[in-house]
Amino acid sequence: MRPFVRASLAVAVLSLGISMSLPAFAQKATVRMWTFLNPSGTTPREVTLAKIISDFQAANPDIEIVTETHAFDQLTPKFLAAHGTGKAPDIIWAATDFLGDAIASGSLADLNELFINKWTPEQIADRKGPYWDLTLRNGKQYALFTSRNYISLLYRPDFFKQAGVDPDSIKTWDDFVKAAKALTVTDTSGQVVRYGFAQGYSEHQADPLLMIPMALANGDGIFKLDGRANFAHPAGVAAMKFQTDLIKEHKVSPPQAAAWTVDDVYEQFASGRAAMILGASVRVSTLQSKLGDDKVGMMLWPGSGEVEHAPAVMAGWAVGVWSGSKVKAQAGKFVEYMLGPIGDKMWVEKGGQSPGLLSTLASLGDFIKQPGKDYLRVAAEGSAKFGWLAPIDFSAGGYRQALNKAGQRILVNGEDVKASLERAESDFNRQHKR
Amino acid sequence: MHSKYAGIHYIVPAFALLTLVLFSPVFYGVWFSLFRIQYGSPTDFAGLDNFRDLLSDPTLPATLHRSAIFTAAAVSITIALSLALAIWIHRLGERRGFLVQIIVIVPWIISTVVATLLFRWVFVNDIGLAGSIARMAGLDDIQMLNNPHSAMALLVAVSVWKRIGYAVIILLAGVKGIPDDYEEAALIDGATPFQIFRRITLPLLKTPLLLVAIVLTLSNLNTVETPLVLTGGGPGDATRILPMDVFDRAFITYDLGSATALALAMFFGNVLLVLAYVRLAKWKT
Amino acid sequence: MTAHTALLACSQGQSVKIPRAHRRILSTVTGLVVAALFSLLVILNLLPLIWGMLTSLKGEPDLFRFPPVIFDFTPTLENYQRVIDSGFLGNMRASLVYCVVTVVAALTLALPAAYAFDRFNFPLRQPLFLLIVASIPLSLGAAALLIPNYLYFTKLGLTNAWFTLPLIYTAHQLPMAIWIMKGTLEGIPKELDEAAIADGATHFEVLRHIILPLSRPALGAAGVLTFVGSWNEFVASSVMVDSPGLRPIQPAIYNFIGFFGREWGPLTASAMLAIIPILITFALLGRLIVSGLTKGSVKG
Repeated sequence: MRPFVRASLAVAVLSLGISMSLPAFAQKATVRMWTFLNPSGTTPREVTLAKIISDFQAANPDIEIVTETHAFDQLTPKFLAAHGTGKAPDIIWAATDFLGDAIASGSLADLNELFINKWTPEQIADRKGPYWDLTLRNGKQYALFTSRNYISLLYRPDFFKQAGVDPDSIKTWDDFVKAAKALTVTDTSGQVVRYGFAQGYSEHQADPLLMIPMALANGDGIFKLDGRANFAHPAGVAAMKFQTDLIKEHKVSPPQAAAWTVDDVYEQFASGRAAMILGASVRVSTLQSKLGDDKVGMMLWPGSGEVEHAPAVMAGWAVGVWSGSKVKAQAGKFVEYMLGPIGDKMWVEKGGQSPGLLSTLASLGDFIKQPGKDYLRVAAEGSAKFGWLAPIDFSAGGYRQALNKAGQRILVNGEDVKASLERAESDFNRQHKR
Repeated sequence: MHSKYAGIHYIVPAFALLTLVLFSPVFYGVWFSLFRIQYGSPTDFAGLDNFRDLLSDPTLPATLHRSAIFTAAAVSITIALSLALAIWIHRLGERRGFLVQIIVIVPWIISTVVATLLFRWVFVNDIGLAGSIARMAGLDDIQMLNNPHSAMALLVAVSVWKRIGYAVIILLAGVKGIPDDYEEAALIDGATPFQIFRRITLPLLKTPLLLVAIVLTLSNLNTVETPLVLTGGGPGDATRILPMDVFDRAFITYDLGSATALALAMFFGNVLLVLAYVRLAKWKT
Repeated sequence: MTAHTALLACSQGQSVKIPRAHRRILSTVTGLVVAALFSLLVILNLLPLIWGMLTSLKGEPDLFRFPPVIFDFTPTLENYQRVIDSGFLGNMRASLVYCVVTVVAALTLALPAAYAFDRFNFPLRQPLFLLIVASIPLSLGAAALLIPNYLYFTKLGLTNAWFTLPLIYTAHQLPMAIWIMKGTLEGIPKELDEAAIADGATHFEVLRHIILPLSRPALGAAGVLTFVGSWNEFVASSVMVDSPGLRPIQPAIYNFIGFFGREWGPLTASAMLAIIPILITFALLGRLIVSGLTKGSVKG
């Protein structure tokens, strides 16, 4: 008997000892940061992050930044749970879907106190825009955005040229259908070789579908003020009908897409199976490395008579400092550097991201004129003028999934558009107990 | 030494570890589920509210029904095929049998997410290998995922494909454990192969079959990755099974209260299932 | 019902005399069917693996050429280079350490427990063993209780340490290991230990000198199953540790299905690297697994 009891006791004591002896040595402030990027990785963004960290540490030898990489879909929920236990990291990258929860839970420190109060009005003006406003609540600034994402149309300039379509000619949704028809290519046996437009309806990794900008442009939005879903109003029904008709009526979009994920769509695009896709600005550089810089373009959504361009859904990662951190000042210092003028420029030039500061955009004049970099201008212009961010005053989690599922039911089961949207509304409201 | 408790200390370390890592979290989970959960932390005591929320969800019966069908189909097909494979591999002899065995376990040793992604790419996706070959042959795209029934069939097929390797290994060991002379004696007595299978092979495989049935049932009943990666639950709700529901509650709508309640309900359901299997097999410890 | 009778009739039909020519056709047909089924198995199981291997050798531009290229591309090791540069060997080393610790711990705990369950008759023996069996769902369905589990472990200070994952893996694999070991012990004649006890040996000496050597193959089998289970564990691996140095391979592989899209090149390259240790284990110990399980463990 003894050896086993003794062995397990030894293990228990050993493990206790090790877990308690950790936070002993200080001197250098260690700042833990949770993100989904791996600084030893090799993608442009990961290399950029590593460079920013090493530059910062060189300038601040008393601060050490420790990056702890997490799966992007677990990052924010896990941070919220960790906040509850008092063991959260000092810096967090929060996904837009959970930003409201992160702020409401009190897990994010006010960045005004940490560094923004020291800024000049010019510095603040440099950042103004929808993202700034989103994270500004009751006079407190809870986070700064990075990895800004503008989700609109990606297209293949070479296919447009082949079909004799000018991208700038797509001004209205009718123009869009016309272009999609011209871009759809069928082979001699009647099989479609290339579709004019593609977007994926899977609930897994759901991106906001085309109907959302269209409904936003023509109606009162997709949420009511109290957070209940507002999908089945006339503009919503018309938009859903429009996007499903691209498959059912016009046959310019693939029926298989009822089961496609976001990644499937990008792969179809990379294979030349679609001339336009619903796509995100953050994905352009990856696609360009597969296809070539001149083969991937980005454009704003078409508009209606009243609005020039329908508002694209925007997202991104809100970087904040944990309210319970013991090294808030140092953490704030790093956030300020990483997303400040120097960091921002690096994210754009090395990382292929859209600029977060107006001054960065202005200083990049020549860079953006390079072949293939025009998408940065499109995304920047779009974010400033034609963008929409999901509300964070209530949880909007699951709205894209609910709408995607409604689309699947219309496409696969032939459900009526309005009935399907009403069902999506009631599902969403029930899930959120609203 | 000869006390009534002799030997019990040998299970103490194992039970200590299981209590620390497996059992206590269940109690913690039960405790957690009795609270209103906000932003990932328990706040006010809510009694059984979280469970009541679950019961009032009109989609739950259908999800339960789908899970039952999916699990029953996946488990029975896996067992039938793996039993046939195990017997076949046993008959093939040492070397060829080993080769087949290695081929059979390949999907099992690749992680579920990667294996499912690869399967989907190669066999399902229309820009994958199979799709391209079909197109070259002039066939139309099959679009398995675009129909509720074929999507469920595909989900079952992928689950069978992914987990059959484990079942074959356990059953093969069982088949090899049956002494050859049993079968020879029966043959001399004029038994048909079917009779031999029914009266000798099957009864002697009771324990491995029970083990395989338990493991397969639980792993199919609790799989999130396979449906998430393969179908995302669609089309519509056609392949949405219970664990996906837990996942969505926890990570999409972030309703941890009802997610935990559902997870616990599933867990106790799992335990009952295990006990039912043990009872059904009239298995003695 | 009809299928059942048909099957019965069919199986009984075999003992009826069949003309020789007929029989030859029958065996040819059976052969063809077996060959067809075998080819199907090979296609289904090996094609994704081979495709994964080819993909891992392709450069970015070749990944999504349409129609897909099978051999007509310039193979490159750049994906493997990227995977290794991003620290994957460190993840593999961590996983290897975790899995070895887990195997040793699981077997060390499982053998005595199985010994007690099989050779002694203490009170509550039966219910306790059923509890072990009933805890299998906790290891297989643990994903469902992820957040409460995370909170529980964090509050105890058990997360993000070198022992975190071995501790969890061991608990996950232990019920199955105990079951397999107990089955093996049933096959070891009790007379052996009774004789030793009569000669004055203690129970521990019986365990050490009689049971242990005789159950070696089963330990090997249970060990391999434990290894594979822990090596492929994803949920706890990705949630319970934070530090880069503690990260095992599965979350590292998953990292290539990232926020910016799945990167098939490094994804398949890392997946290929991940299955190498398992394939080697099986090539070396594959036969042992089956024979180890055979030694009574899974006998009826």
